[in-house]
Amino acid sequence: MIYLDNAATTLRKPPGVPRAVVEAIRSCANPGRGGHAAAAKAGEIVWQTRVLAGRFFGMEPERVCFTANATEGLNAALRTLVNAGDRVVISGLEHNAVTRTLEGLGAETVPVTAPIFCPAAWLERFEKALTPDTRVAVCLHVSNVFGAVLPVKEIGAICAQRGIPFVVDASQSAGLLPVRPAEWNAAFTAMPGHKGLLGPQGTGLLLCRELPAPLRFGGTGSRSLAQTMPDELPDRMEAGTLNVPGIAGLGAGLRWLSSQDPKRLLERERKLLAAAEKGLSELGAQTFTGPEQLGVLSFRFPGMDCETAAAAFSDHGIALRAGLHCAPLAHRTAGTLPEGTIRLSVSAMTTPPEIEGFLAVARKLRRSGRT
Amino acid sequence: MYDCYFTVRSVTPGQKGRDALLRAGLRCRLLRAPAATSTQGCAYALAVRQADWPQAAEILNRAGVRMEGRWLRRVDGTFERATL
Repeated sequence: MIYLDNAATTLRKPPGVPRAVVEAIRSCANPGRGGHAAAAKAGEIVWQTRVLAGRFFGMEPERVCFTANATEGLNAALRTLVNAGDRVVISGLEHNAVTRTLEGLGAETVPVTAPIFCPAAWLERFEKALTPDTRVAVCLHVSNVFGAVLPVKEIGAICAQRGIPFVVDASQSAGLLPVRPAEWNAAFTAMPGHKGLLGPQGTGLLLCRELPAPLRFGGTGSRSLAQTMPDELPDRMEAGTLNVPGIAGLGAGLRWLSSQDPKRLLERERKLLAAAEKGLSELGAQTFTGPEQLGVLSFRFPGMDCETAAAAFSDHGIALRAGLHCAPLAHRTAGTLPEGTIRLSVSAMTTPPEIEGFLAVARKLRRSGRT
Repeated sequence: MYDCYFTVRSVTPGQKGRDALLRAGLRCRLLRAPAATSTQGCAYALAVRQADWPQAAEILNRAGVRMEGRWLRRVDGTFERATL
């Protein structure tokens, strides 16, 4: 299989990742609970991963909270900051992890729209939308549908000037672009561990520059007599047993990334996307591209249903994702509703021959009329 | 012999404190806090030598580690609350 659905999850990991998961399953007990060797080992793995993530994102380690995924982190952030009726300004590219949560909270959601690949326009529209009655602003760093990079640092600066808490969804950028919550003035930054950070599924991080409200209540291995949740991080956000094997794998993913040249990784992925885009354009596909695009290429063949085309690719061993990508708002903003697009997404493990293989299948399907 | 205990709320500040002490060249041990040193149930303690105590307290403060209590272990194994 040629796997090009890395924006959903990176399937191929550095060899250290599965090794760390297996080792943790075999040898780790519950971290931060008992005082025996197996509990201490689990505690060390969790701590080392926290420290690594802290270094990676410029945070104190205790402000790095483990979550099950980015969605959980975004839920925690938004439930902390948003009450029913609050005006929340979001980018028109947000994922359902943001929009459904806001809907569930009864917020007045105000999506900002702009040409997808024009950071200056996004900034200008956010600046207008961030009125004094805005309670919170939410913006993703990179679109999971189009790979567009949004100017979160500049939006965060406006939010800071106006006293508006800022939440960033770094799901598609973490591991590829610098993620710097302090420079962005982001109160909370959420990300999965299983995408660009190359960890296992069921892992995620919430980087907290403010104290979140607990999303779950329960045991933390600390202050057990108190019946309220601890007021300090990370315990406040980490009730219940942690996913130690997952966190061990995430630590291995972070170690691998730390050993790489980030600029080279980025350049490599951009070359892969450019090659895919060129080949698809030559076949008459409509592609959605722009400067600074990252990791993701949306495309479609005129007159062809996207799901049918993706199924045809799948029959030939190519893993893509078609449809709305859990981001109907992004497709509305781009004008690609109702059918959506086909999404090709690469990772640090994707190779040039895989893109060539994908294009060979695309040419074959085009000739046979299946795309 | 580790006879001075700094109690911290949970394992995470304990680990942060331990790393800071080790980086400064002080020997220490992170362990579950003895019940006598913890008023709110489960907690952790950083045990250091009495001779290192003032320096350790300063290092932990600088590292932003919130200490819940400071204890001296007597020869008979009981604890007494202590001030620097």
